[in-house]
Amino acid sequence: MSKTFDRFASITFLLVGLLFVIESRSISQSAYGSTVGPSIFPTALGIILILLSIRLLFETTKYKDQEGTKEPVQYVKFLIIFVSAAIYAAVLEPVGYVISTFIFLLIAFQTMERGKWISTIIIAGAFSFGIYYFFSEFLGGSLPGFPEF
Amino acid sequence: MGTLDFLLNGFAVAFQWQNILFAFVGVVIGTAVGVLPGIGPMSGVALLIPITSTLTSGMPVEAAAASSIILLAGVYYGAMYGGSTTSILLNTPGESSSVVTTLDGYQMARQGRAGAALSIAAIGSFFAGIVSLIGLVLLAEPLSRVALKFGPAEYFSLMLLGLCAVSGLAGKSMTKALIMTFSGLLLATIGIDGVSGIARFTYDLPILYSGLEFLTIAVGLFALGEVFKTILERDKESGAIAKIDRIIPTKQDLKDSAVPIVRGSLLGFFIGVLPGAGATLASFFSYIAEKKFSKHPEKFGKGAIEGVAGPESANNAASGGALIPLLTLGIPGSGTTAILMGALIMYNVQPGPLLFNDHPEVAWGLIASMFIGNLMLLVLNMPLVKVFAKIIQTPKKYLLPIIVAISFFGVYAVQYTTFDLYLLLACGFLGYLLAKNDYPLAPLVLALVLGPMIENNMRRALTISNGDFSIFLTRPLSLTFIIIALAWLLIPLLMKFKGRTIVVNEED
Repeated sequence: MSKTFDRFASITFLLVGLLFVIESRSISQSAYGSTVGPSIFPTALGIILILLSIRLLFETTKYKDQEGTKEPVQYVKFLIIFVSAAIYAAVLEPVGYVISTFIFLLIAFQTMERGKWISTIIIAGAFSFGIYYFFSEFLGGSLPGFPEF
Repeated sequence: MGTLDFLLNGFAVAFQWQNILFAFVGVVIGTAVGVLPGIGPMSGVALLIPITSTLTSGMPVEAAAASSIILLAGVYYGAMYGGSTTSILLNTPGESSSVVTTLDGYQMARQGRAGAALSIAAIGSFFAGIVSLIGLVLLAEPLSRVALKFGPAEYFSLMLLGLCAVSGLAGKSMTKALIMTFSGLLLATIGIDGVSGIARFTYDLPILYSGLEFLTIAVGLFALGEVFKTILERDKESGAIAKIDRIIPTKQDLKDSAVPIVRGSLLGFFIGVLPGAGATLASFFSYIAEKKFSKHPEKFGKGAIEGVAGPESANNAASGGALIPLLTLGIPGSGTTAILMGALIMYNVQPGPLLFNDHPEVAWGLIASMFIGNLMLLVLNMPLVKVFAKIIQTPKKYLLPIIVAISFFGVYAVQYTTFDLYLLLACGFLGYLLAKNDYPLAPLVLALVLGPMIENNMRRALTISNGDFSIFLTRPLSLTFIIIALAWLLIPLLMKFKGRTIVVNEED
């Protein structure tokens, strides 16, 4: 538990609640055949979320921070994998499934642990080709297989 | 037709070759999911939804729904079996409901009785699975008949009760659990409103018209969240695995564990039926009960076989019991059952009292397949336990990136949008942050699934009463549900106020 995170989270949730309440006002009020319009439910939920966030913010003043035990956190590995996953998502359609998956897996495997190039290439290749052919050829699904030139 | 006829028809569905295969694949993957530390039943089931939906894509809707739910339920109860393996061999529970199994199971393994502990866990789980299925068969019809009499007001209050039950017991802080619940309900309002057809919070983005996809959020929060956690915090490598020698338990072992298995099964089943109280609580209570009933309570924690037999039976029975409110009332009582419900809704199959009338193939096919699946698990687990134990050694280096790739494939193959992939990554990161800081994720997913139904029932009830909110309090059944819901939230608070410690349910 981190006090800083809880404070940050409570403010974020408060803003989310506020956003929903404000935005609900622009939803048309009445609906045919119903006395209760489509804006009432989100408005009420937003108000409750705001109240709960205030309560959480209040609670953070009461307990002691427990940040004494810090585990080693591998930010670099995580960042490389996360960013390459985001790029993977962006290029999946233009570059195609097989190549983008192969490259993503190669980067991720090597980020997790350097070396053993042959086995990483074999596993990444088998996965990307295997999934593509099983899904597209065998099951008849549609995936962007290869880039269109 | 009587219950027996329906059950026989269910067996006809379950014995179709593809469904036997689906049950088999489900329980094998489930066992693997239970064995692999870090992947729980929730992320296992979430990851497999897209894969089953592609596997069943050529089948008629009803048959596809039956086959998918057979596989997914297999993963669910298979994981309960598999979770014991790492608890016993490694002292690391594969999922949260096997935590208490480490207490005596690992001690048994250190004394060279790993085989006996594993086989008793398998036998207990099998017996519990059968007990909970009999309960399911007996209770399904009468409960859904009662539920058919519910009006929208009763439904609204019942779903409220479901949400309160899961939030009241989840995590260390109820405020955080409630925040997650309400966030889930709010996320569920995004998209076209089902009653009026008006777009809400879509900002003219066509991608948002159908709302945020439940599948993307569940896979992101659970599967990717856990992957990110393991990447970020991978510091301790698992220790040596205990040797497995003799697998068949001795007569004395069987004699010692027979009563705990029966007790654990019954206790687990009834705890499982309660919303919010999942398999973790069941195994925990069973352990306490066995210690109380034992003539030698000092043996517990030092390798008592009763301490393995009871809790392992209880957690399996609870997972069977948890299917009762899901199938008969349409109220999932835990995170995993919420994900199963989401999967059914994806197939246009609405769990609830009408399920047994409208989709008998799905409901009874599932029940019958669970008999077969449990038998498969027993047959598989006794001789193959050594093979499953090998799965523990899968290098994380390959496992984690492949889970990311599988979740990408799954989400894309169902949604065909890049937007969902970005949403998936965002949910993964949020899932990691929230879970790390004790914000329980199960209430959010549950609220996301129940949200549209809660709102529709509330609005229908209010239309009947001309906007008078007292309709929820004047109808006796609805009032009862609301009182129980409030009690579920207030009693733990009161106990905390009095300085008592309360048992918290880990997510399962």
